[in-house]
Amino acid sequence: MILLDTREFDHPLPLEMAVEHFKDLSEDAIIHMIHRREPLPLFEIISKNGGRYLSIREDENLWHIYITRSQNVKLEHPYV
Amino acid sequence: MFNGLSLDQAPPLSVVIRFFITVPVFGILLSLIIFFNPHEVLIPTHPISLAAVHLMFLGVITMSMFGALFQMQSVLGGRPIPSALGNAFLIHLFLVIGIFALCGAFIFSLPELFIIASIFLGASILYCANLILPLLFGDITHDTLRGMRLPLIALSLTAVLGIVMASEYANSSFSSVHEAVRASHYSFGLIGWIAALIIAVAFQVIEMFYVTTPYGSWCKRNAFRIISASLLLKVLWIFTHLPYSWVFDLIMGALLSGFIFTTLKRLNQRKRRVSDVSIWFWQLGMALLSLAILTYGAFIGSGYDALQSVALIAFALFALAIILGMMGKIVPFLVWFHLSSAGYMDAPIMSNIIPATRAKGVFSLFALTSVTMIGGVFCLESLLVGAIIGGGMFGLLLLNLIHALRLYRDTLIHGKRFG
Repeated sequence: MILLDTREFDHPLPLEMAVEHFKDLSEDAIIHMIHRREPLPLFEIISKNGGRYLSIREDENLWHIYITRSQNVKLEHPYV
Repeated sequence: MFNGLSLDQAPPLSVVIRFFITVPVFGILLSLIIFFNPHEVLIPTHPISLAAVHLMFLGVITMSMFGALFQMQSVLGGRPIPSALGNAFLIHLFLVIGIFALCGAFIFSLPELFIIASIFLGASILYCANLILPLLFGDITHDTLRGMRLPLIALSLTAVLGIVMASEYANSSFSSVHEAVRASHYSFGLIGWIAALIIAVAFQVIEMFYVTTPYGSWCKRNAFRIISASLLLKVLWIFTHLPYSWVFDLIMGALLSGFIFTTLKRLNQRKRRVSDVSIWFWQLGMALLSLAILTYGAFIGSGYDALQSVALIAFALFALAIILGMMGKIVPFLVWFHLSSAGYMDAPIMSNIIPATRAKGVFSLFALTSVTMIGGVFCLESLLVGAIIGGGMFGLLLLNLIHALRLYRDTLIHGKRFG
């Protein structure tokens, strides 16, 4: 699991950081991104490039996003 | 509550870029007009001055804002503009023809051109408002989208009043309410269209781009109501010749001052204090808006004409500062996003699309342009220097945009796709 806490980074750096990690992601690895809002543009990039994601809102300004390239790895959030 | 961005239905890059890339072209033209006619541009009622004012407010400011509207409506609203490609083409084309016709009409005193300008500018502006406004009603909860209603309505009223005045210029016959129409045209255009749209955009981007605390909900809820009511009452007062119409200017000035204070406070309290040229643009923009408010207030009190010129120039520069700052953020993001979502995983990183040194170059030239242009009201040589520096700034902006588009095209042609 690659932890990517982007809560204090100015937009749109978090998207770029996530995509840079996604490029190098091994088949069964998962990125756990923590962000202050739901990064919808990122989802389009991930989906269009064969990836999957799970987006969980924990609080008003706290989102957990799990990203993988694998079609088999189960994406889940431990607190839901 | 939907609080993010959606680019699922984002318009193609060309929709937004066609407006943005036209901006520096009109900016260079404006610089040339100022350079070759410094005396005339400082006389508010001179045709050359009117041509310059419309080049700035239509060719530079409105042109940029139309591009931003096409992007923001789709991104924030989730209800995309129908046939964005074709509609953007028509609106942009009509706007360009209309601006050239209007400026030509003023400069060459050709009545026919006023009619052509009215047709094309009216068609472009009213069609754009008619296209986007219906998408902003209904179950819209986003503050920025709700805030965009007033600017589009105000822009439509500005256009209608502009058409009325153009017909007066075409016939060289001015009605008894010409001055009232002119004052209303300015009020709706400057405050209702430009200032209100910048406030609406700030509600979204200051918090999102710079990780600040959000603007207060009272502020978001009531800012546009106060501006709308003040504008309508001011226009009513002007047309009915009632006294104390300046009270409404005072209310709008107080509201704009509150906006400046809260924006600067948020920028100063941001969590991650990294250097960013777009923040410098916001800070300088707020300083210019403060100067515009102060000098306009002083003009109302003293009647000294030069102060009104300073207020108008400072206000235009305020809007330009925000536009340049936002363009420097939006263009690299759009290029990167469109390439990345199309699977070009070797898309250039955003900081390479418009390099920081070039972005700082635009800022430095803009700051110098601001000082010299405002100083130009009192010293003609300063205005000439301002025109040269301003031309250079728009030239560099054009180069930056071309560089970004070249990177986009090269990646499309030679880029490696993911997988």
